[in-house]
Amino acid sequence: MTVIFQNLSKNFKNVAAVRDFNLAIEDSEIMGLLGPNGAGKTTLILTMATVYHPSEGTVIVNGYDVRRKPTLVRGMIGIAFQDPRFDRLLSVYEVLEWHAKITGVAKQVRASRLEEIMRRLGLWEIRKRRTWALSGGMKKRVEDSKVFIQRPSIAVFDEPTAYLDLQTRMLVWEMIEEMKEEGRTVILATNMMDEAEKLSDRVTIMNLGSLVALGTPSQLKQSVTGGEVIEVKPSDSAKIDLEAIKILPQIEHIVASDGVLKLFVTQGRKTLPSVLEKLSEQGVTVESVYLKEASLEDVFLQYTGSKLTS
Amino acid sequence: MTADERFQQNKTVRGLLIALIARDLRVLVKTPWIIFSRGLAFLVQIFVFAVLMSRLVNVPGFDFFTYYAIGTVLVTVASIAFLTGYDVYEEAETGMLDYLLSLPLSRRGYVLTRAVGGALRSIIYVTPLYAIVAFIEGFSNLLDLAGSYLLIFLLATGITGLSITVALSIRDEDRFDVTLALLELFFIRFSTALYPQTFMPLAASVVAPFSPVSMTSDVVRSILGHGTVDLTVMLGLVAFVVSMLALGAAMYLRKIEGGYFD
Repeated sequence: MTVIFQNLSKNFKNVAAVRDFNLAIEDSEIMGLLGPNGAGKTTLILTMATVYHPSEGTVIVNGYDVRRKPTLVRGMIGIAFQDPRFDRLLSVYEVLEWHAKITGVAKQVRASRLEEIMRRLGLWEIRKRRTWALSGGMKKRVEDSKVFIQRPSIAVFDEPTAYLDLQTRMLVWEMIEEMKEEGRTVILATNMMDEAEKLSDRVTIMNLGSLVALGTPSQLKQSVTGGEVIEVKPSDSAKIDLEAIKILPQIEHIVASDGVLKLFVTQGRKTLPSVLEKLSEQGVTVESVYLKEASLEDVFLQYTGSKLTS
Repeated sequence: MTADERFQQNKTVRGLLIALIARDLRVLVKTPWIIFSRGLAFLVQIFVFAVLMSRLVNVPGFDFFTYYAIGTVLVTVASIAFLTGYDVYEEAETGMLDYLLSLPLSRRGYVLTRAVGGALRSIIYVTPLYAIVAFIEGFSNLLDLAGSYLLIFLLATGITGLSITVALSIRDEDRFDVTLALLELFFIRFSTALYPQTFMPLAASVVAPFSPVSMTSDVVRSILGHGTVDLTVMLGLVAFVVSMLALGAAMYLRKIEGGYFD
């Protein structure tokens, strides 16, 4: 195991940001971390990275307890933050070179690695530009580059592809997968379901500081009651009597969110006409309706009762 | 751990600390307009204001120009050292502090390098200005100059520690600005850096000796003037530096323990 969270809690005054969190992340695993804003993902990452002290419990990183060997643990972890964190006055090259230096990238390989990663992510041509002058997407590339250059034993990416165009997004995915192939452990905090699904070996869903679900993407999808989802967008959701629909035997669970009804069902094809009939009886006009297999988004909705904002 | 491993580890730690200080200095050279404007302000202070005042103030045996020129160096060092507090406050607010604290450095090492980095930045700012003053006044004893330089560095380190402490103690931006401005006012304006204690209004003359800027100014003048050092004042200055660094470190640890700006 590379990282073991043991009964970890982190409180800020009276607010519990992480509650009794237990999780073991395997070597060379990509662990997706899903959760809405305020779920405690960043606090969890920063406690593992020894920026915060645990309030209770601990984290073991590569066999070292964060409470006892914090400086050693820091040397094993590299974080690409959600919002880029670097000196605005420095150039792209200076930011990355400094990060490489301070995180211990050997002098012999530093320059070549900097050039390699910067060229791949399209930063080489703008290496002399000061970071304050960069667009959001370019800043994100610089932030991600820090970890790609550092190549730590445990790489943490917090929303690695936010603000990126599709092509760069796929390139970053490819580079994250390469890190795994090199034997590194990756923790991927994301709000993007497709990203979590494509990259993660396993996914952890967090809500209100707690772990609410854990498994491979397919295991999680199978865990959705019914396994299928009917998504209905009515013209006026306020008019709907949910209880009248819930009595249909194939319906396991209904979640209404942002004017859309999600009905977790078994035998979707059979159930769909009955659902539409019930809505019609209530005088509700349906704008759109889909029948689909459960996605990670649905898993999230089922476990947390809310949609994941992206 | 073998001696060789220990040597390698110490070498790495030194390298990291130097890298952190180098970051501070690199940011400094990226702001030449600030260096230029502060340098210009300094020159106006001594070549316009000090010259004018020394013509108006006529006290036998007292050279106000020399007094003021040395004091201006100390005041410039102190005000630049206060800037580190603004940097740290901004780092905490923007989340940059999370990044810095996630780097492989011990907390003590981190605080120390921030204070030393801030102090070095102040020293670099004033070196050309100090050289001008030394040239005009004919201070040529290298030992005296080195001693005074060390004192200036100590003052800068202590004030950097103080400004870090304030930056990490106050969350509200307005309160932080006001507190730092008031401290700057007390440390600099209620000090003997720019005017002798004997000519000060009573209230100011009572508090002036307690300002570290006063202590440093007086000792520096004493060294440059007649090569002597008042050990009591020196000890006071060292106590200020040590206590401010300890306070800064304690504040960092407290912030990390509880999380900040949550």
